[in-house]
Amino acid sequence: MHNTWLIIRREYLERVRSKAFLAFTLLIPLFMYAVVILPSKLMTMKPSGTRHVIVVSDNAELAQRVAKEISEKKEDKDEPKDDDAVAPKYTADVEPSKSDETRSKLNAQIDAGQLDGYLWLPSDIVATRKFKYYTKHSSDFVETEAMRGAVRMALTRQGMAVAGVNEKEVQELLRRVEIDTLRVEKGKVSAGGGLMGFLLPITLMMMIYMTVIIYGVAVMRSVIEEKTSRVVEVLLSSVSAKELMAGKILGVGAVGLTQMMIWATFGAVIGSPIFVAAKSMMKDVHLPLAVVVAFPVFFVLGYLLYSSMYAAVGAMVNSDEEAQQMQWPVLAPLISCAVFASMVVRTPDSPLAMALSMFPLTAPIIMFVRITVATPPAWQIALSVSLLVATIYGMVWLCSRIYRVGILMYGKRPTLPEILKWIKFA
Amino acid sequence: MKPILELSEVSKSYDEFKAVDRLSMTIPQGSVFGLLGPNGAGKTSSIRMMIGITVPDSGEVRTFGESFRREHLQRIGYLPEERGLYKRMKIGEVLVFFAQLKGVSQSDAKKRSQYWLERLELTQWTTSKVEELSKGMQQKVQFIAAVLHEPEFMILDEPFSGLDPENAMELKNILLELKKAGKTILFSTHRMDTVEKLCDSICLINQGRGVLQGDLKQIKSSYGRSSIQMEYEGEVDFLTDASLVQSSNNYGNYVELKMQPGVDSQHLLARAMQSAQVNRFELVEPSLEQIFIDTVKSSKVVASNA
Repeated sequence: MHNTWLIIRREYLERVRSKAFLAFTLLIPLFMYAVVILPSKLMTMKPSGTRHVIVVSDNAELAQRVAKEISEKKEDKDEPKDDDAVAPKYTADVEPSKSDETRSKLNAQIDAGQLDGYLWLPSDIVATRKFKYYTKHSSDFVETEAMRGAVRMALTRQGMAVAGVNEKEVQELLRRVEIDTLRVEKGKVSAGGGLMGFLLPITLMMMIYMTVIIYGVAVMRSVIEEKTSRVVEVLLSSVSAKELMAGKILGVGAVGLTQMMIWATFGAVIGSPIFVAAKSMMKDVHLPLAVVVAFPVFFVLGYLLYSSMYAAVGAMVNSDEEAQQMQWPVLAPLISCAVFASMVVRTPDSPLAMALSMFPLTAPIIMFVRITVATPPAWQIALSVSLLVATIYGMVWLCSRIYRVGILMYGKRPTLPEILKWIKFA
Repeated sequence: MKPILELSEVSKSYDEFKAVDRLSMTIPQGSVFGLLGPNGAGKTSSIRMMIGITVPDSGEVRTFGESFRREHLQRIGYLPEERGLYKRMKIGEVLVFFAQLKGVSQSDAKKRSQYWLERLELTQWTTSKVEELSKGMQQKVQFIAAVLHEPEFMILDEPFSGLDPENAMELKNILLELKKAGKTILFSTHRMDTVEKLCDSICLINQGRGVLQGDLKQIKSSYGRSSIQMEYEGEVDFLTDASLVQSSNNYGNYVELKMQPGVDSQHLLARAMQSAQVNRFELVEPSLEQIFIDTVKSSKVVASNA
């Protein structure tokens, strides 16, 4: 016990005092600032520049309507308001002649940079509801969406006018609809839907995911360092392999928790002005107590599971390069968590989400995501955590046997049958 | 004297490979013991079992007169052949860390490391990182780490390799001092000259088996004065005459040889003078190196016959 404590202390102090720790601790909040604050700053900025497009149609009335839709900002557009803010302003002119000369003239103007694009509306557009948009920015999906929306809206307005609805009524009928998403849980209703209801679980999930990987890899590298520098032989003349592995995992884990605590404090102190700046985005944010508790719990469980596997990988290899290849079996389930996460946020009760939250290798992340989205039944959480704890127990046992033999093996990388032998005879 | 370490019929295999095969040895308290053998003979495998890094497949390890327990490790110091220190740690801190793992308090560890650093002229490097030191200096730091907890029993694997003559001399003096203070030292090496000068008794192992062990003086005298050291110029073709010479180790103008039993040394000298100019001809106890080579050779013969 005393030995494990000494290993933990060395591992912890050496890391916390290192420059890398300081840099990492400072850079991640800066990174978060860049990701959360800058977009909200950018959104409030006036869109720069105007783009000029031409509507080519032999239907003069429709062309006028389309040009008006494009150049005017309207409350009745269906896209989210925020997207309007980042889209540039447009001016639109009408060109009635649909000859080949017009086309080549407009193409030349686009090449010369005098024109950003033109809409080519066929004569039978009312029936086919199809048109072509010629532009340089063909990959700007915001723009193509805006053009499509403008033509659809113009067609709707024209159709309603033809049906005899007056302009004022049309305006009223096409007005934008607002939605307020509320979360219902255990009979309580709370805010927290919409975009933020999606982003918050994903952000928290990413934090667990990243820290598990970063500190898991730190354990692995530390094992490799001791192995390649042959310190391990000196250490083993004083401590057992089990004490060494336990001390390493706990020491590095403590560094991870310290870093999170620094960030939390950091966020609480400097956080208030940050949240003011991002108020429009953050107004729907709420952190239920369950999430606050689940976050460290699932981080610790996930870290214990994966760091023991990383320790075993570190013991198997002789260099960082070899480790790059060997860590894939460990990394794969973690990455699949990130892949499935958005699906789980949208359908937290689907059979696949349920299965993933029970499967121990994905449970630390997927069960946590489910808890942040909509608290699953208690029995599911209990089952998931028990399976996870049992797996951690087994995995630590297994990995400590691989570790024990591996740290004294140099040279050739072991094959799978050899590793099985290690587990058997350790 | 009660033994510090006893191995009885200890075996260890890795897969099909028998690293150590029914090895028995006893190291008396206060002695300097040499564990000798060619590379790959099983020296390191044996040492690892003595300090519980690995567990023997069969046989028993007894330390300080009891069955091996991990608590005994606090009384044992180990200098592995492959040196290892944390490269980015400071010298002072790395020493205190290793001493604490052996149960020394932090303040004692600091005091003692100061003493040893001064003694080995490393004081000015106390706050330097390990990686900033030369190989030789790291070697000395490693040695300090092995003795800082004042162990009663020290296991030193090739302690002189990598040291310049001056530092090797200093180390030898320290070892003699420790011996005088009643400590027991186990040397593991394949370098015979150092062992010959320092060791009281030896165990020679080859292919995992103990092939020769006991008191060094007794071993040498049991080989009798049937060995000859000769300095010469010219031809020594009689070395291949199996009726005269049992084995020989020819350096070109110096040769060590062992006569066949019953051969008269004067006869051999006369034979040598026929073809060479003999500058020195001495009847001696065989050098340990000679015994080593003979024993390893004959044990190989036994092994291949078996």
